[in-house]
Amino acid sequence: MIDFARVQKELQECSKEIDTSGIRVSPKSDNLARLTGIIPGPLGTPYEGGSFEIDITLPDGYPFEPPKMKFVTKVWHPNISSQSGAICLDILKDQWSPALTLKTALLSVQALLSAPEPDDPQDAVVAQQYLREYQTFVGTARYWTESFAKASSLGVEEKVQRLVEMGFADSLVRSTLEAVGGDENLALEKLLSS
Amino acid sequence: MEDCASSDEDYYYSSDRESLDGLENEDSDFQWASSRGPSTKVITKESLLAAQREDLRRVMEMLSIREHHARTLLIHYRWDVEKLLAVLVEKGKTDLFAEAGVSVVESEDTGMAVSSSSTAMCEICIEELPTDKMTKMDCGHVFCNDCWTEHFIVKINEGQSRRIRCMAHKCNAICDEAVVRNLVGIKHPDLAEKFDRFLLESYIEDNRMVKWCPSTPHCGNAIRVEDDEFCEVECSCGAQFCFSCLSEAHSPCSCIMWEHWTKKCRDESETVNWITVHTKPCPKCHKPVEKNGGCNLVSCICGQAFCWLCGGATGRDHTWSRIAGHSCGRYKEDREKKTERAKRDLYRYMHYHNRYKAHTDSFKLESKLKETILEKVSISEERESRLRDFSWVTNGLYRLFRSRRVLSYSYPFAFYMFGDEIFKDEMTNEERDIKQHLFEDQQQQLEANVEKLSKFLEEPFDQYADDKVMEIRMQVINLSVITDTLCKKMYECIENDLLGSLQGNTHNIAPYKSKGIEKASELAVCRNSKASTTTDKCLPSDCGTSGKRDRPFSFGSSDDGGCPSQKRAKESYGGGFFDLNLPAEL
Ligand SMILES: [Zn+2]
Ligand SMILES: [Zn+2]
Ligand SMILES: [Zn+2]
Ligand SMILES: [Zn+2]
Ligand SMILES: [Zn+2]
Ligand SMILES: [Zn+2]
Ligand SMILES: [Zn+2]
Repeated sequence: MIDFARVQKELQECSKEIDTSGIRVSPKSDNLARLTGIIPGPLGTPYEGGSFEIDITLPDGYPFEPPKMKFVTKVWHPNISSQSGAICLDILKDQWSPALTLKTALLSVQALLSAPEPDDPQDAVVAQQYLREYQTFVGTARYWTESFAKASSLGVEEKVQRLVEMGFADSLVRSTLEAVGGDENLALEKLLSS
Repeated sequence: MEDCASSDEDYYYSSDRESLDGLENEDSDFQWASSRGPSTKVITKESLLAAQREDLRRVMEMLSIREHHARTLLIHYRWDVEKLLAVLVEKGKTDLFAEAGVSVVESEDTGMAVSSSSTAMCEICIEELPTDKMTKMDCGHVFCNDCWTEHFIVKINEGQSRRIRCMAHKCNAICDEAVVRNLVGIKHPDLAEKFDRFLLESYIEDNRMVKWCPSTPHCGNAIRVEDDEFCEVECSCGAQFCFSCLSEAHSPCSCIMWEHWTKKCRDESETVNWITVHTKPCPKCHKPVEKNGGCNLVSCICGQAFCWLCGGATGRDHTWSRIAGHSCGRYKEDREKKTERAKRDLYRYMHYHNRYKAHTDSFKLESKLKETILEKVSISEERESRLRDFSWVTNGLYRLFRSRRVLSYSYPFAFYMFGDEIFKDEMTNEERDIKQHLFEDQQQQLEANVEKLSKFLEEPFDQYADDKVMEIRMQVINLSVITDTLCKKMYECIENDLLGSLQGNTHNIAPYKSKGIEKASELAVCRNSKASTTTDKCLPSDCGTSGKRDRPFSFGSSDDGGCPSQKRAKESYGGGFFDLNLPAEL
């Protein structure tokens, strides 16, 4: 049922434009119904420098039905669930049009990272923070980007574990790491000096 | 009951003779002259097309547009022609069309002339295709026929037939129904038919003034009301119902009250409450034990004694204030207050429910009695007598049914009106008392007169001498007028003094109709010439399905699964319809 010919063309198109858009789409297996998308965090946002992985599942009716997308990379954003990665975006629901593509849909997701809509939240906790304590929100979002969306930060849990093993409390380790942007050495220095 | 001219004398003598005589003549419009013919209409599967066409034609003529555009507009404005006109006046044609997703193209631009070249790219499947395999929608967007077809199929299966949007991103235009019908029909004729039926049924599903008859099994009809949604109607299948909530006719109860009441009766929640208040499980064998007497030591048939206050097992010796070997320290007053309250609520409910039920039961009995009474009429008519006209009997019976009905539903009404379940802080206690007295006076008067009427109709008048029959006749005619007047007054009281005095009242009551629940008349199907001379080829029956004009629409059939039925009654009626009015054949 899925129009695989079109998906194939979409993938070709996408890889041609990768340098300008930065958006990648690649199949998970030879079955084109499961794909992985990668979007770069938009410049000038707390997501800058991050690289976000998105899980894509194509329904039988694609492109006449919208693709299902969710974040694999943990992200702190009012319209994205911090737990499940579910995305609240109209074009992935009733505003989908068959004229849209995986690339345009991912571009819309990227645009959502730049312009959150806290009035229509997917994650109420994040939305509250965004509206009431914007600076804290920016800090947390940046920390999450550092911790989860950067190649260098992939081992954040290991860093935490190592520092905890040195005798520091888990929560203190995490907040210190957050404060120094995820740098393990800086965090250790700070922990020791305090 | 012999002296029935006591409190009712006022009514008896103030009613003028003419109207009394009028009652004897069945054809006379006695007191009913003000009501015109029924304004409610039965829409059958045959007349649905005509009903829809009526509104379509009005809009087409007014705006000089084609039928599918008129339909798109009407679906958007939920078949409310007045609303549509208001938007037209307020915002103008362009905005009216844009909001509904109608794009009217200039005539020169129509046709399938997609472009001058012989091939074009379809943006959906990303294929270069010959232009004759592509279709341009009124909004100007062009895609290939295969893609359009797939899009339509997905939308129809999603149940969105009535508003299929163009495939282009952010294009709000609604697709031309003729294009949908043709393209889908090529691949899936059955789906095209489903699409047609959805469009047709939109007239019922999307229309505030039209609802499916709630009969089970479904009679296939819908009812259209003219200007008041809060009314009671009878479908041509015989089902009588409240148009607003689709349950049985229940005035003078409001829909909200009726919903509460039926739920209460169904749950028997009060009875359950009674058991929890009046019994407690034995700590040993767990059987419910009832408390008798004022003492808090109760004993179960198994021999176990226990404390009523905490339910704990105890010894058997006790004084008024202490149970031997047991002190739970419970303060008993709190619990007793609760018990008192629950008891009071229960008795209150029972009071109203008993009366409500007594009248509904009487009804059923009287409906059966109808046969015997009519028999008496035919016997009397055979007799050698100067009395010939017995229409007073049928009219009296009719009045009895009608008033009985009002009376029985007046009890759940009173239960909620003067209770604190729905109207808790709407009235002060004094206000409530005054109003309750006012209402109960009327209710009791009505009740007394209804019972008298019932008694007189039960008399074996076929065995009486003419003089006695004349006397009964006088009484029946008199009581008929009285009960009708009292019913009317009760509704007035409810509307003006009770509900009307509440702030922000949301309780609407179907108006009292002396004649009983209005039988909706069949909508006349006028197959006039106008419809056939139209150049627009987009009527469901005309377009793409020629030769199928008379195909039966399977209304409410469950085989298609996708049939939208939010408007159908959720509950089955399972014989729950009382025919409270006098049956039609009388
Ligand atoms: Zn195509
Ligand atoms: Zn369009
Ligand atoms: Zn019916
Ligand atoms: Zn109702
Ligand atoms: Zn026991
Ligand atoms: Zn005792
Ligand atoms: Zn006790």
